[in-house]
This record gives sequence, structure tokens and C-alpha cells, in this order.
Amino acid sequence: MAEQRESHLWKWLLCTPALLVLVLAASGPLFIVLAYSFLTPGTMGGVRWEFSTEGWFRVFLQRDIFDPDEVRWNQAHLTIFWRSISLSLQTTIICAVLGFPTAWFIATRPPHRRALWLFLITIPFWTNLLIRTFAIQELIRNNGTINTLLMRTGIIDSPIQMMFTDFAVLLGMAYVFMPLMVLPLYAAMDKLDFRLVEAGYDLYASRIKVLWYVILPLVKPGFIAGSILVFIPSIGAYVTPRVLGGGRTMMLGNLIALQFGQGRNWPLGAALAVVMLVIVVTTLVLYLRWANREGGQVRV
Amino acid sequence: MFRRSYSVSHLPGFGFVAILTFLMLYLPILVLVIFSFNAGVSQSIWEGFSLQWYEAAFRNRQVRDVSIRSLWLAATAAGIATMVATLAALGTTRTGRFPGQTMIYALINQPLMVPEVVTGVALLIFVAAIKVQTGYTGMGYLVAAHTAFCIPFAYLPIRARLETMDINLERAAADLYATPLQAFRYITLPLLVPGILAGFMLGFVISLDTVVITEFVKSAGQDTLPTYMLGQLRRTVTPEMNAIATLFLALSLMIVTAFFLITRKRGA
Amino acid sequence: MKDQTARDSVEIEITGLSKVFGQGAAAFSALSDIDLTIRTGEFFTLLGPSGCGKTTLLRVIAGFEQPSTGSLRINGREVAGKGPNARPVNTVFQNYALFPHMSVADNIGFGLKMLGKPRAEVAATTADMLRLVKMEEMAERKPAQISGGQQQRVALARALAPRPRVLLLDEPLSALDLKLRKEMQGELKRLQAETGITFIFVTHDQEEALTMSDRVAVMSAGRILQLGSPHEIYHAPRERFVADFIGDTNFMELPVARLEKGGAFVTLPGGSETRAELPEGLTPVIGEKVTVVIRPEQVQMAPPDAAEMTGTVESATFFGTDTHVHLRLSDGQGFILRRQNSARTEEPAPGAVMGLKLSPGALRVLRD
Repeated sequence: MAEQRESHLWKWLLCTPALLVLVLAASGPLFIVLAYSFLTPGTMGGVRWEFSTEGWFRVFLQRDIFDPDEVRWNQAHLTIFWRSISLSLQTTIICAVLGFPTAWFIATRPPHRRALWLFLITIPFWTNLLIRTFAIQELIRNNGTINTLLMRTGIIDSPIQMMFTDFAVLLGMAYVFMPLMVLPLYAAMDKLDFRLVEAGYDLYASRIKVLWYVILPLVKPGFIAGSILVFIPSIGAYVTPRVLGGGRTMMLGNLIALQFGQGRNWPLGAALAVVMLVIVVTTLVLYLRWANREGGQVRV
Repeated sequence: MFRRSYSVSHLPGFGFVAILTFLMLYLPILVLVIFSFNAGVSQSIWEGFSLQWYEAAFRNRQVRDVSIRSLWLAATAAGIATMVATLAALGTTRTGRFPGQTMIYALINQPLMVPEVVTGVALLIFVAAIKVQTGYTGMGYLVAAHTAFCIPFAYLPIRARLETMDINLERAAADLYATPLQAFRYITLPLLVPGILAGFMLGFVISLDTVVITEFVKSAGQDTLPTYMLGQLRRTVTPEMNAIATLFLALSLMIVTAFFLITRKRGA
Repeated sequence: MKDQTARDSVEIEITGLSKVFGQGAAAFSALSDIDLTIRTGEFFTLLGPSGCGKTTLLRVIAGFEQPSTGSLRINGREVAGKGPNARPVNTVFQNYALFPHMSVADNIGFGLKMLGKPRAEVAATTADMLRLVKMEEMAERKPAQISGGQQQRVALARALAPRPRVLLLDEPLSALDLKLRKEMQGELKRLQAETGITFIFVTHDQEEALTMSDRVAVMSAGRILQLGSPHEIYHAPRERFVADFIGDTNFMELPVARLEKGGAFVTLPGGSETRAELPEGLTPVIGEKVTVVIRPEQVQMAPPDAAEMTGTVESATFFGTDTHVHLRLSDGQGFILRRQNSARTEEPAPGAVMGLKLSPGALRVLRD
């Protein structure tokens, strides 16, 4: 078996350069974040090397300014957590509601056309997220395309405030993450055996019933995969809420960044980052468990 | 009497929603591109065709600098990522399970799972510590961060290519007296080229798009095109930004199209 | 064993060879205790169902797998432990494994190029090989631009070009349709005769093995069960598996009535006694049951007074040149008879009673 061990060594050697880069510049620093979350903030940012659980304490709680023994819920943080989760779920639902018909539309095109439609979905996926967010901003600004059009046609007198609202963030995220829902849904529909749909109609089911009892159960894995693919980047979103939401509608990502900027509380920021990571990893683990139980293929 | 046959794939309203979704995906970008050619300063009122904003963008020294930095960074990071990803793909495909395989996969795919903002602040902390220790403030940090982020994207098409490659081809080469190195040089590598090219392109596009990680890792004067744009978006934006965005989009579009052509034509 | 004298020099000698995959509880023994001698210039076939170890044995000979124990000599030199590029052996792969990015000519010349032959020699040999497999016109095509049968020829030419001592063929005809397969069978025999190279051929198709080979080794579960000429394998199977795998066979459990030199008399259903050939070294106990076999075409219909036993027709299946008659013997055992057809023969009706006569010497006792 020495021969086998030698070939394992070769595999590891081939992977070493990639792993080195990944550990140094991606995975390793995550552990440093964990360590920093237990330190004391420095006055000008950074940390002092003194152990403290204050960073973790402040994730959900806060002390009264005058009486440090009086502990209250940190309402501002709770609001941001709730907004992050709520907006991410809403984004996922919007993407699912619009993405399902879209994926179905692509999957039912003639085979030679399908590639083109699929390409049209993939293009936004590969184009810069910042630019797409910028495009949305241009539409919904107070003197942006939509408001200008509405005012010029006399429908409204003063611009509708859309920027810096939850709506803006939701619109932006649904817009930028839509392809992530359509692609796995399409993959599931592509594998769908249309004879099963025919069998459903043959057995007297109406269109709605075929959709509910035949199609949806069969493409469920695509639905779940798409939801995960939309939910995870939504929870981690930073650019879209920063540009469209501004300081008033912060999400978790912006709260984290704030601690490393004006907040000057690196340990709190590190603790928040760990919380975000835990949410993401938990979601992923739940998904992988589900996928393994279903015996379906896991596409990452 | 002719009647339309019963279409089993038809679901009422789905086509309408699909078209709406496609419009929603493309309309904002279209508006952005159109107003980059506007003669006026407005982003909502068309005042005639003009290339003035493109001229302005080209004359803007800062835009030129950040663009060159972005392209250089993307090429360097994607280049390194493609090289190491190729080696890793050779090590991890077409083999049975081996000890540590799951860990290697987890490490390679990790940048895809962890939110960019988390990786960003992690790198911020790490880089700050190294800067204090070494005093080095060059582009090395950005190159390393982008390379790590590009690896999973570069790895995917290379691995896909390897997996569809018949392992008997290399066996046949060995059978015909090729040494392992010759088999790699004459058989594996030439057949892998489309995958490597595709991997490089994906890595390049991903590096060009990366804004959050760059934002946290960059030192002063190391803005890339995306972080420059992110900074500018806070101010009142002129169509010069549309022009820059349009050029940026065009570049991404060209690379992605080339990527699709490569993977489709030579794909299995 | 035809012209053994002309072909008695040993090409490959395998002794005590075994191959185990995995380790511990998951260990799987793919080959055990293989002893095998292959003669120079013979067309040797490894025959068996999928998973029997025939392909593993071929891969061990080629050098893609190393044996766990035992020795493997090619032309007198021990090669166990050496890689495929250090053995005078070339392989024709099941899916041909032609290099898709090289032309037909470059594919054929690849082995010689790797051996470091001068360019002129590579070109000359490539041209010879193209002529040998009648592919001169296609030299500059890519593998994807030629048909399956043509790819097969190129794979053969590529493996023959370096003039190996032994050519290994891993089910090379299985991807071809029936007509092309028949054509290529003849082609392979011709190439072997012209080149004089030892061919080791792996197949699961018993008919292919019987028609093409000088000798056949029947394998099952990692062992060689029987080795011999196609005639021996077909007419004198030693084990139930061999008899069952090759052709249609009737098995009967019959008591031994008495022994004779080299044979045993068994009692047929209905009471008559007949002689069955005994395999070497087997002495059954009188009165106990043994398994005997007889091929369906070695049984004839006979009038009841001349019959050795009788059976009731259950069904008959018409195959054109012959009809397979499924019978139930008087003791309840099933039996198949293959009857040659002519325009005048009538199909047997279910329920009819049929007299049967066995060809002399066709009944054999099996080692169980």
C-alpha cells in the first residue's frame, strides 16, 4: 500500500500552492476574526491585547450610559438583524415568484433557443454587481428616470422618495440576485421528464393541479438550491444596502463595516462578523443535510 | 377544422412573468447605457447624442489610473489563481476518495460560501497586523486576496474539463511509451487548454467585479475601478459614471461571451 | 490443440498472480492465484462475464495495475513493478482512446515518437500502418471526423505501430454494430496472421471467443476456471459455470448406475442407462447423483421404441434455421432440444410426447 500513500502525497503536493493562498488570504484570517472578537477596542481603531467579552456583549445588548450596571437590549442592533433577515427572506420570495415562471419559460423553449435565453440570464450574473446596483440607483433617485418621467407626465408633483428605504434595498437585491434563483431552477426543470407532466394531464389533472402535484414536487430541489443561493448573499449583502439604503437602512454587512470605520470598535465588528458567518454556515449545513437526505445532487 | 394541440408545457401567465423578468433584468442596464451617450448632464432627460462623457472619462487621470490598476490586478490574480487551480484540479480529479479530500474541497470552495464582507474585515485585520510588523504597503495584499477569491472560479471549469477527459487517453499515452511528463505535455495539457482559458477568464471577470474585499484590503492610493465608483456614487453622479460603467460592462460582456464560446465549442 | 509445435515458445508467463483492491474490511480480491502461460503468436482470449477479472488481468499485463503478489514475465523478463511505458506491450482500448487533438497519422506515430525514433522512421512506419489497416485516405483527419469502424482500425494501427511483442485488446469490438463487428473479427484475424504478434483478447461474447481464438481462458470471480481450445471449452466443459456460460446447455441430476474405464453409466429418467464421459480424476460413488450436461443440438427426436427417454412438449420457439423445443422429462426436470428446420417440418404441439435420443459420447459428468 506504499504505492497508494505515495500517490496521495502527490495529490496533496499538487494542491499545496492553492491551499497555501487560500489559507493565507481567505480561511486563515477568519480565525483571527474570532480571536479579535475577544479583545479590547483601541481608541483609534485596532485593538488592545486584553481579553474582553465586551464585543460579544454588545452584539445584542447595551449598558446605560450613566449606569453601567443597567443592561438593556440593543434596539438598534436588533432592528438591523431583523431587517437583514426579513429583507433576505423577502428577496428570496420575490426571486422565487418571478424566477419560477422565468426558468419554466426558458426550459420550455425549443432546444436550440434555450442556450440563448440561458445566456441572457447568465450575463447579469457575471456583470459587475456594483454597476447593476448603480443602474437601479439611477432609476429610483429623486431626480432619477422614474421620478422624472412621472413628474413630466404630471402623474405626481413631487418625487417619490424611493432611495434609502427598505423598498430600495429589496428591489436592488432581488434585481442583482435573480439569476441565482433562475439558474438552479432551470437546471432542475431541464432534467424534468415532460412525460410525467403528460401523464398528469392524461389522468385528468387540471393545469393548476399538475403544477402543484407534479411539477413543483419534482423541481423542489432546484427551488431549495436557488433559495439558498439567494438567501446567503442577501444576508451577507454590503454593496447594495450601502448604495441604495444608505445610513438609515443598514443591513448586517454595513453594521460590521461600520465598526471598522467610524465605529472604531473592532472587537464588536469581529463578533458581528462571526455571527454573520454562523448564520450562513448554519443555513448551508441545514441545506446540505436536507440535500443528502433527499439523495439529490448537491451543486455548489 | 384545425385546432391547436394541447401543449403540456404551457402554464398560463408564465410567459408574461418571464418576459417581465427579462425586462426587469435588462431595462436598468439599458437606461444606464443610453444615458452614457446623453449630450446633457441629466440621467433622465435625453438631450441628444454625444460622446462627451466618454471623452471626459478618458481625460480623467484618476479613472485611467484605477482602470489600469484594476486590469493589472485582475490579470495577475487570475493568472496566479489559474496556475494553482490547475495544479489543484490535477490533484483532486479522477481519483478515488483520499484522506483530506473533503477538507481540500471545503478550502477551495470556502470563498464562495463566506460573505465577502466577512472575508473583507478578516483580511483588514490580518493585513493591518502584517503592515505593522513589516511596513510593507504594496499591492501584494490585494493580489493575494484577489487570487484566493478567484481560485474557486478558476478551479471549476478546469476541473469540469478534466472530469470529462477520458483517463484512458493518458493510459494510452503511457502504453505507447510516454513518460508521465510526456503524457502530460502531449496529451493532458493540450486537451486542458480550453478549461484553463475558461478558468482564467472567469477569474479575470471575478477579480474585476470584486469590490467589497478590495475596499477593506486596499491601502491609500490603491483604488480599483469598482472601489473608485463606489466612492463616487455618494456624490452627485454625472453621466461620466455611466460611460465608465458602460465600458466596464462591455469588457465583462466580451470576456463572458468568449468564455461561453470556448466552453460550448470545445465542451464535451 | 492445433500446430502446437510451431508455437511453443513462451511469450507471457504468469505465476501465482493475485490482485487485491482496497484494504482491510473493504478489500476486494479481483484476481486470485492466476497461473497462465501464453505462447508466442497465439490468439489468446480471456472470456467471462463482467466483473470476472478479465479486464483487471489485461490491465495487469499492460502495466496499468500492479499485481499484489506473483510474477509476470514477458518474453522471459520480469515486468511486475514496471510501468506501462516500460513494457513491450500495447493496448487497444475499449473506447479506442484516440487522442482527439491529433490527426490519425499523429495518433499512429505517437508511440514511435515517444520511443525517440527518427522522424523519417516514424513517417515510414505510420505510412505502412495506414496501408495495413486501409486508412491511407484518412491520415490527416481528426478522430472525431471518422466513423466508429475507422476509429477501431486507427486504434489497432496505433497499437501495432511500435511493433509490440504482445497486443492487448480490451473488448475492442463491443462498440460496433453487428455487421461491422463480424467484418472486424475477420480483419483482426488477418492482422494477427500478417504481423505474427501475440494477441490477448478480452471479451464477454462467447461466440466471438469461440470463432477467433486459438485458446480461451474462461474466468469467473477472479479465477481461471478452464483453459483450452474453443472446441474443448465448448464440448468438454469441466465445471457447471463454463458449461452454462458458453452456449445453451441442459443440466440433469442423474444417479450413477455403474462405472467403466473413463466413464460412468447413469440412469436416465425412464430407466434406461447410458454412458457419460467423466472428467479426469473424478470417481463418483455408485448410486449417488451427479450433474451431467448435454448440448441441445446433441439430442435427436426419435420414435418412442428407439428413444432413450421421453419428454412432454411445453412450448416451442421458432428461430428460423432451428426451433428450440422446451420439454418436461418424465421425472419433472426441464430439458431443451434444438431441432434443425426444413420447409416441411411441423412445429411440435404443446402436450405432445416426444421420444429423445442422445448423441453417443455427448453426455458429460461435471465436477461440482
